This record gives sequence, C-alpha cells and structure tokens, in this order.
Amino acid sequence: MEEKIVAFVNDQISSNQTDEKIEAQDDLLGGGILDSLGMMRLISFIETEFGIKVPPEDMTIENFINIETITGYISSK
Amino acid sequence: MNFSLTDEQQAYKEKVIEFAQNELNTSYTERDRDSVFSREDWEKCAKFGLQGLATPTAYGGSADEVNILTATVAMEGFGYGCKDNGLAFGLNAQMWTVQFPIAQFGTESQKKKFLPKLAAGTWIGCHALTEPNAGSDVYSMETTATKVDGGYILNGSKRYITFAPISDVVLVFVKTNPKLGKWGMSAFLVEKGMEGFTAGLNRPKMGLRTVPFGDLFFEDCFVPDENLLGKEGAGWAITNSSLEHDRCTILAGQLGAMEYQLEETIKFVKDRKQFGQAISQFQSVSNRIANMKLRIETSRLLLYKVAWLKSQGASTMMESALLKLHLSESFVDSSLDAIRNHGGHGYLSENEIERNLRDAVGGVIYAGTSDIQRNIISKLLGL
Ligand SMILES: Cc1cc2nc3c(=O)[nH]c(=O)nc-3n(C[C@H](O)[C@H](O)[C@H](O)COP(=O)(O)OP(=O)(O)OC[C@H]3O[C@@H](n4cnc5c(N)ncnc54)[C@H](O)[C@@H]3O)c2cc1C
Repeated sequence: MEEKIVAFVNDQISSNQTDEKIEAQDDLLGGGILDSLGMMRLISFIETEFGIKVPPEDMTIENFINIETITGYISSK
Repeated sequence: MNFSLTDEQQAYKEKVIEFAQNELNTSYTERDRDSVFSREDWEKCAKFGLQGLATPTAYGGSADEVNILTATVAMEGFGYGCKDNGLAFGLNAQMWTVQFPIAQFGTESQKKKFLPKLAAGTWIGCHALTEPNAGSDVYSMETTATKVDGGYILNGSKRYITFAPISDVVLVFVKTNPKLGKWGMSAFLVEKGMEGFTAGLNRPKMGLRTVPFGDLFFEDCFVPDENLLGKEGAGWAITNSSLEHDRCTILAGQLGAMEYQLEETIKFVKDRKQFGQAISQFQSVSNRIANMKLRIETSRLLLYKVAWLKSQGASTMMESALLKLHLSESFVDSSLDAIRNHGGHGYLSENEIERNLRDAVGGVIYAGTSDIQRNIISKLLGL
C-alpha cells in the first residue's frame, strides 16, 4: 500500500520538477510537497485504488499529513 | 447513456420557471441601476423552497438529502425565468458556500442554530476567503485566529465578499496555525454584532449589482469555541468541498439566462429589417445565433455531467474546471454576440440586453478565474 502511494506522490513531485524522493513522514500538503490539487488527486487515487470513500470530514491533518498516517487511515476503513 | 431529466425534475424545473417569471421580475432594472438588493424577493425564494434545496428537512430544508442534480436543474430554470442574475448568483453563493458546509461539517447545535434561519430567508450568510493579499493564491491569507480561553481572537480583513454588507452570519476562513501551511486554516461562523467584527458598505461594481458586495473587518474579534466549523485545521477540506459544489450550481443560473438570451435574440433578428429583409437572413447575424446555440448545448452537457458525477459522490476536479471555464466564458461571448445582433438597441441600457454582459463578466473571476481553471486542467493533464 505504502509503495503504491509513494510511487503516485513521486509522480506528483516529478511534475513539480524536483528530484528529491519523499519519505513516509514528510508533510505532504503543509510542507508544500503537494499543492491543493495534488492532494485532491492523491485522495481520488486512494479512493479508486483501495476502494474506499474519503468524505471531506476525514480530510484532516491527522489522516493525511504524511504517507504513514494515510496508510493508517486506509487500514482503519 | 441517458441525459434526460426525470419527470419529477422536469416538473420541478417548470415550477421554478413559473415562480420566477410570475413572482420575481419586478423593479430589477431600477435595482440594477441603483445597486439595490430585494429582501422581498429573497424571502419569496425562501418561501418557495429554493434556499432549502441545500439543507436537509431536519434543519428547515426541502429535501431529505441534498440532491445536487435537482438543485442544478432548479437553478437552471431559475436563471431562465428570473431576469435578476444577481439574485440567482446570491442564492447559489449562500446555498453552496454557507448552508452546504454547515450541513456537512457543522455540529448538531450549529446546524440547529444557523440552517433553519438561512433556509427560511430570515438570515443571510456569506463565505469569506479572499483578502487584499490573497486572491487566486488564497492560501496565502493573513487573517489569523489565536486560541484563548473559551474561543479564538480573530484579526484581519476580507474583501470582494458577496453579501458582506448585509450578512447575519459569515463563514470566514483564517489561519489558526500558519506553521502548518494549508492544514493550518480553520473556518469560523462569525455572527453580526460580535464585538470587533464590522462589515463595510456595499461597493459599486460592474454587474450583479442587485447583490451587495464588500469588505469584512476583524479587530480583536472574540469568537467562542462553539462557532468553529469542523475541527481546527478543517478549513482546507471545507473550502475544497464547497467550492466544487459552488462551481457546479452557481453556473446553472447562467445557463438558464443564456437560453432566454438566445430566444430573445432570435425573435429580434427575425423582426428587425434592414436592406429590405430580416437581418436573420444575413449570415454574419445567423452565424452568431448558431454559435450562441452551440455554447448553450456544450455548456449544458458539461453542467449535467458534473451534476451527475457529484450526485454519484464522485470527485469532479477536471470536469468542474472545464465547466467553470467553458460556461462562464460562453456567457460573456454570447452576451457580446447578443449585443452585436441587436445593434444600437442592444447597447441601450433600457432594452436590458447589455445587462447580461455586465453580469457575465463576474463569472470569469469568482470561484477561481478562468486562468486558474486552465491551470487546473493543464495540471491534471500532467503538464
Ligand atoms: C462578483 C464576485 C463575487 C465574489 N464573491 C466572493 C465571495 O463571496 N467570497 C470570496 O472569498 N471571494 C469572492 N470574490 C473574489 C474572487 O474569488 C477573487 O476576485 C478571485 O479569486 C481572484 O482574486 P483577485 O481578485 O485577488 O485577483 P488576482 O488573484 O490578483 O488575479 C489577477 C489576475 O492574475 C491572474 N493570475 C493570478 N494567479 C495566477 C496564476 N497562478 N496563473 C495564471 N494567472 C494568474 C488572474 O487570473 C487574474 O487575471 C468574488 C469576486 C467577484 C468578481
């Protein structure tokens, strides 16, 4: 699960023209790795890839700050 | 693939058109000239149930569950029947960027306190994101909320806010923790009369003049904990969700307006004679009519697609951006074509042709400019 998300996010980053690869603890949205649209795309990807629905109320820092919390959130669904 | 409306949706759309044509179309030319809002029409809309479309019945609304498809079709009918484009715009702004987020993110007591009054038309609400230094780059906002015992202290200002001068409640977005970037943004429900909160006067503008518009100021304004909407940091999720809905329905009214604009233009070009024949016989004139029709049909396809996707709970980032861009730009282009086909008659304010152009221009700016929509589209295409 983590690898798939990392791969997706790295695609996002490469579109932002950075060579650095992300770590599971990096703050994606707050740290500027993903912009708002990138985060929405990631959520959309997660919904399709893992067959879950992410309601707007769940789009919080606790669930989506980094890849580690995202995988925790997906597993809890 | 079936794009037809259900009998129920078609019947409701017709009811909305009839209501708007019979109950609302008075004094709007004078109010457009003088920038005056009609509270009376607002209340009539509420009584008819329009504001209620964005609120569940349990909180004074008109549907068990908010149905975006029905609401979109209703607002298309409203735009067709009601000549006051500002009213359609104001209704949508409150319904999708104030009522809807409260229904979606609010606590039980917030829903009970605000939604019945907003749905009944006794209260008016606005949604305040834009600031002097944060327009398209909205997340660079500078208004802050600092935690204190029992609540927060808000400081800063907002501008270009629809309904700001007359709002009873403001859904305002502020930074609660600037260090957290986009996660550090929160939403508060600030009520008229709260100490430290003031609204500026109505600011004259190019179009949509029948809806008041202006600035909001927060100076050491104390807002109690119970007025925080969603969790601290939920501002990002709230704006994303409500703006996507807003982009869908806010333009439905414009589509309705484009429909009556085409009908009126066709009637005019058939009646008006020059060089011994109806001007509709000149291909330059009829080509503009054909373009107006094409814009309506392509806009409708995009609108219904977004509304349908939203009603299925799907994300519509690409489709909403395409819709917002195409429909708003189409209304501007068609309004210019309507004026061109009417000649001098179209340029005179008293003939009510030029008003649509002035009203249309706001559409390419609010809820993300056309440039921003193009950025979203190209980014989603991997550029
Ligand atoms: C009728 C109307 C009603 C409104 N109602 C509300 C409301 O209720 N609540 C609210 O919060 N706001 C409201 N607004 C404000 C509106 O959302 C902003 O005007 C809009 O987001 C643009 O911001 P700005 O005016 O600061 O322009 P700027 O962001 O300064 O843009 C100026 C120009 O630069 C371009 N530009 C900026 N950044 C980029 C970029 N990255 N790429 C390409 N081009 C770019 C823009 O497209 C534009 O052409 C309303 C505006 C209007 C006209």
